[in-house]
Amino acid sequence: MHTCDLDVSINKLSKIEGHADLDIKIRDGKVENVDLRIMENLRFFNEAVQGQSYAAVPQLVSRICGTCSIAHLTGCIEAVEKTLDVTPSAQTMILRKLTMYSLMIRDHALHLYFFVLPDLFGLDSALDLPDDKKELIHEALHVKEAGNNLSNLIAGRAVHAPFEQVGGFSNEIDKKKIPAIIKELKSIRPFIMNLAELFYHCPWEFKRKTNFVALATPDFSYLEGKIKTSTGEVIEEKDYWDHLHSVILPYSQASGFEFEGKEFMVGALARLNLNKESLHQNTKRDMEKFLKVFPSENVYHNNLAQAIEIMHSIDHAVEILETTDFKKEAPAKPKKFSGEGVGVVEAPRGTLYYWLGIDNGKVRYANLVIPTAQNLVNLREDVKKIVNDILAANKDAVVLEGEIKKEVEKLIRAYDPCMSCATHFLRVNWL
Amino acid sequence: MFNIFSDKNKKKRVGVFSLTCDEGCSIYLTEIFNKKLLGWLEKIEIVNFLAIKDFVEIKNLDIALVEGVVTSEKDKKLIEEVRKNTKVLVAMGTCAITALPSGQRNNFNKDQLAQIKDHLKKYKFLPKALSVKEAVKTDDEIPGCPIDPKKFVEVFEKYI
Repeated sequence: MHTCDLDVSINKLSKIEGHADLDIKIRDGKVENVDLRIMENLRFFNEAVQGQSYAAVPQLVSRICGTCSIAHLTGCIEAVEKTLDVTPSAQTMILRKLTMYSLMIRDHALHLYFFVLPDLFGLDSALDLPDDKKELIHEALHVKEAGNNLSNLIAGRAVHAPFEQVGGFSNEIDKKKIPAIIKELKSIRPFIMNLAELFYHCPWEFKRKTNFVALATPDFSYLEGKIKTSTGEVIEEKDYWDHLHSVILPYSQASGFEFEGKEFMVGALARLNLNKESLHQNTKRDMEKFLKVFPSENVYHNNLAQAIEIMHSIDHAVEILETTDFKKEAPAKPKKFSGEGVGVVEAPRGTLYYWLGIDNGKVRYANLVIPTAQNLVNLREDVKKIVNDILAANKDAVVLEGEIKKEVEKLIRAYDPCMSCATHFLRVNWL
Repeated sequence: MFNIFSDKNKKKRVGVFSLTCDEGCSIYLTEIFNKKLLGWLEKIEIVNFLAIKDFVEIKNLDIALVEGVVTSEKDKKLIEEVRKNTKVLVAMGTCAITALPSGQRNNFNKDQLAQIKDHLKKYKFLPKALSVKEAVKTDDEIPGCPIDPKKFVEVFEKYI
């Protein structure tokens, strides 16, 4: 083994959501320390929501994250509804599923086409794709636009969706637009088959034994179900917090989490590992070859898992749009105005957990656990291992630093971390 | 390659910068790209956009699109550097124009301020969160949270 001392720093990791720096300290040929420093400034949402009306808080927390704002909005609304005994209608639940599908289509597409593809072809940016691969950019833009248009139809907008509210949706669906949306969604299916094929054949592999955790929903709709783990535990949504432990990360404006005292991984890979049988039948039919890969411990299969989730989101959305007669409905009303409640949804990057306390209609506290924060400890352990593996391969010291940087950035991108989100952590002293 | 003739045709050099915010405007910009990007790339070169490419030095920009709030000393340094190196600086979105929601802390009560005081000091936050307009001179703005797509196209196309 190479016995070297080396400090590797990556300032401003690119092609991820938000800003983060990474420092790796190597002594005597072994990784001594990994610091992933999330450089997003806190915006103090935890404090800002205190005293605000229950009806306004979901739109406020939507601003925690640009790309997955719909997940924050939906998770927070669910927490308000559980707290105040609001029972949303069956149609509202269907509309929420469509809203979540629109999010998954465009958010996963952004990650796979714009963040990961450059690594696959050794480029700085997807905009630099050579002529013979340029078609992929056209496909990327079509896929994102289809997700964007579905968001517009159901929820009013892809980022900070205005129609989704506590108790229901404020706007009636414009039925005239549905056939065009169905057509567009069907038209991007071949692109997603291409995309899955790319990641299926991608030779990247990194494995380390870990625990996967996800909300397993019976129709893979990301909304309601039980939390499952790869060690076989099944947990009710409201009890999730009992199993999580906050971990302080030095020099970072965020904290990490452990599940039952150990690192774990959430996100598309966890969902596919734990719940692939609940995918839509058309997805299962056309993606059988890709689905055989799961369960998988290869972190890079998170990319393939995301492509499969785009397909499921298309297929289930199409079925819902083809078979539902949407009607105008009044929003469901709260039966009480004080209490505590928990909302859990699967955001694109994993399980998102909201716990609210409300007094007389005003939020007393909000406690949220973000997918990226749950992944941070696991990510740190993976970075340690991948760097130790590179060191063990006894590379020339000159090429070592470059290779470490390249491989570590690639690994971090596979997690699809969201640093804007990760800076919003809870503080236990409220309890 | 898309950008191969950038020097010959004098494409406008565009940078997109994110200060403290949720980056919703950048994300929404990538949605506006769905229909517009390929046309724009005939006229522009995207020099800085950390969301989709590795970091490149901030230099000789024609247009800088800036989202977010100037809440820390680091934000202030970045926005001043961008200002010095761009011909046109456009404040993009509600954060850049009004300093909200990060600026909520400017109106916190005593209890709320006590909760955040140590953090502000440790991470060198400014005494008050500032909008981009308050921090440097801006040439134009695109309102909305996230940016209004029609307004974005209207403003952006004036400068390219």
